[in-house]
Amino acid sequence: MTEAPTHEDFWAALLCDNSRAGGQGPWPRHPPQSARWQLRLEGSVRSAPVLRDGILYVTALDGKLYAIETVTGRPVWKFQAEDRIHSTPALSGDKILFGCDSGKVYAVDRRSGRELWRASAQAEVWTSPVTVGGLALFGAADGRFYAVDVATGTTRWMRNLGARIYSTAYATERQVYFGCSNGNVYSLETASGQVIWSAPTGNGLDSSPALSNGLVLIGSEDFYLYALDAATGSVRWKLATGLGIASSPAVAGNTVIAGSKDGYLYAANIPDGRLRWKTRAGWVITAPPVTSGDVVCGQSMGGGVYALDVRSGRRIWAAGLGESVQSSPVLTEDAIYLATTEGMVYALA
Amino acid sequence: MNRRTFVTSACLGTASLFLDQASSRAGEEVHLPPPPPIHVHGMPLAERSPFGMPGLFPGRVVEVFHSKSILENHVSQSIVRLMLEHGMQSLTGESSARAAWERFFNPGDVVGIKINPSGAPACYSSPELVREIIRGIESAGVPTRNILIYDRYSTEIQAGSYHALLPVGIRVIGLEHRARDVEAYDLNVYCEANFFGEWETRSYLARVVTQQITKIVNVPTLKDHSAAGVTGCLKNLGYGSFNNVARSHHAPITFTDPLIGVMCSTEPLRSKAVLHIMDGLREVWHGGPLTQLQDFIYQAGTLFLGTDPVAVDTVELQTIEKKRQQEGALSLWDRNPANIVRSEREYFRDPHKSLFFRQPAHIEAAGKLGLGVWEPSKIDHRRLDLG
Repeated sequence: MTEAPTHEDFWAALLCDNSRAGGQGPWPRHPPQSARWQLRLEGSVRSAPVLRDGILYVTALDGKLYAIETVTGRPVWKFQAEDRIHSTPALSGDKILFGCDSGKVYAVDRRSGRELWRASAQAEVWTSPVTVGGLALFGAADGRFYAVDVATGTTRWMRNLGARIYSTAYATERQVYFGCSNGNVYSLETASGQVIWSAPTGNGLDSSPALSNGLVLIGSEDFYLYALDAATGSVRWKLATGLGIASSPAVAGNTVIAGSKDGYLYAANIPDGRLRWKTRAGWVITAPPVTSGDVVCGQSMGGGVYALDVRSGRRIWAAGLGESVQSSPVLTEDAIYLATTEGMVYALA
Repeated sequence: MNRRTFVTSACLGTASLFLDQASSRAGEEVHLPPPPPIHVHGMPLAERSPFGMPGLFPGRVVEVFHSKSILENHVSQSIVRLMLEHGMQSLTGESSARAAWERFFNPGDVVGIKINPSGAPACYSSPELVREIIRGIESAGVPTRNILIYDRYSTEIQAGSYHALLPVGIRVIGLEHRARDVEAYDLNVYCEANFFGEWETRSYLARVVTQQITKIVNVPTLKDHSAAGVTGCLKNLGYGSFNNVARSHHAPITFTDPLIGVMCSTEPLRSKAVLHIMDGLREVWHGGPLTQLQDFIYQAGTLFLGTDPVAVDTVELQTIEKKRQQEGALSLWDRNPANIVRSEREYFRDPHKSLFFRQPAHIEAAGKLGLGVWEPSKIDHRRLDLG
């Protein structure tokens, strides 16, 4: 049996928290009326912003982590890593963790922007580190999955799977789940890194898993959204889409929502995989959607930002800005924050 | 008046005259404006490589078909492997696939695989094919760390999920991460021309080509192109290795003829592109290069191999033209102004419309620059039907 994950503070990691439940912000159904501010960064953004205490943390391909004040849109500080950053930052206490293309994983003090430690993989780290039980867990393009001490960055264990990992892990105290480019979904023991199970799909995985109702939910490049038994890895159901799935699924109650590269967002009933609705939201969807109450919101290529009704899939509003290949909005009670491929960050209210 | 100013005014004058004619003489053939002079600033080579285009086998094209290579839009890795092995042996005349790869590569090479992700994810260089090409290059003794894939736009590469689908150790390089990103280009190797009075008149060659790799495997797709007619070996290589190329189009006029051929003949690109493997598993017969509409994507289940990009593209042009005839679409050679539309949306959905007066003659023009054989009667076109 898996355990319920420990939730960090509000919007601390990819898809809101380390469980990646997909969002919990109380954003109302109406479209934003104005741009509170906009900021052009020095590099393209391929990651999702995270938010804490009025500061938005954004990583970019210029190798910088930006801390941006949400009231004014002004950067409070910037931290320069040694290479491009595709990794969504994760917050753990006062630390911000993220990987970069040189293979380094950094821990930075979120108040000062000062480096606390760095750990090393042998190739780029695009995944977002997930913290649980004093460990920061992440996969890398060198084919290895790492567990480092979140206080010091010292490697506690490493598992070589021989195939690239671009899937951000879902972690509990006992088990960690992620996808791999060899087409397998893995579950490792959190404390030791021992493989508990691996489950094959028909192609590599670029999607990050969510966990709900004892099921690991993850998309594959074989065009299917999978629901795997979290204890055994056996396939409970799989849902066909029109093309590969790089988008990480979001969970809203008993509904899982994932974007496919065919440009549609698919919503399925978690217990049995029944398709509830599918709605076109762009040319191509590779970025994860987020949910907030009865709204699902996301960014696409060719479609900008969109908001749909969770129950019906009907469009509530859409806007041409916010095009992104792998970024997700941050939804709060009074604003939506977006980062884009062109390096723009918007606060819409 | 300096040369650049002269070219600007001459070209703009011709184009605007043409547009007036187009609107007043709908239904008639048109005369397109001549291209401006193109100044090439290549990299001097001590000696031209014998591998350079048209390469070891001028005029030879191997077409390999397997009916089960793509089923319900899923590509079969094992069948693609079989097709590639047979194709390489037929191209080279070698008795094994490994020997065939060894004709091109040795352990000291650094090999760049020039993919085409511009139609990703609907139609792009299949990761399954790219994985088999990597396997072939490795079989010739090239270390994995010396193999990379590259293209201009990292967003398109990411949409294709190449980073997550290729073996450990393969470098994946996107040259541009957002608009006007020139960091990855060599400012000493360029083609210069002023087509429509644009601000930046130079297109620079990627540094990865000029400084890192010793050889290129070019992996275009079987696809029509709204401006060039088709986008094959030549277009994928030239317009995907040089930057700032969209400036050669200003609808409905395009100067892809002759710019594509000129770029491909620029050193060191010409000498380094030693092998061309066209992914024809999917065939876009209308809406290329960016369409995501499955209505115009046929699962052709074919690969085309050659060292001569002009010959391969000539076969591609015939293949797509034939498919368009079967589907009742406009000829790629159509010159009727009445068929030109301004709306991309309308063009994408209607194969009886064009955005540009397409320039499939860019292939012949490249042939006349010495890049290969363009006369169909002189092409050694070998067909392998594997099942």
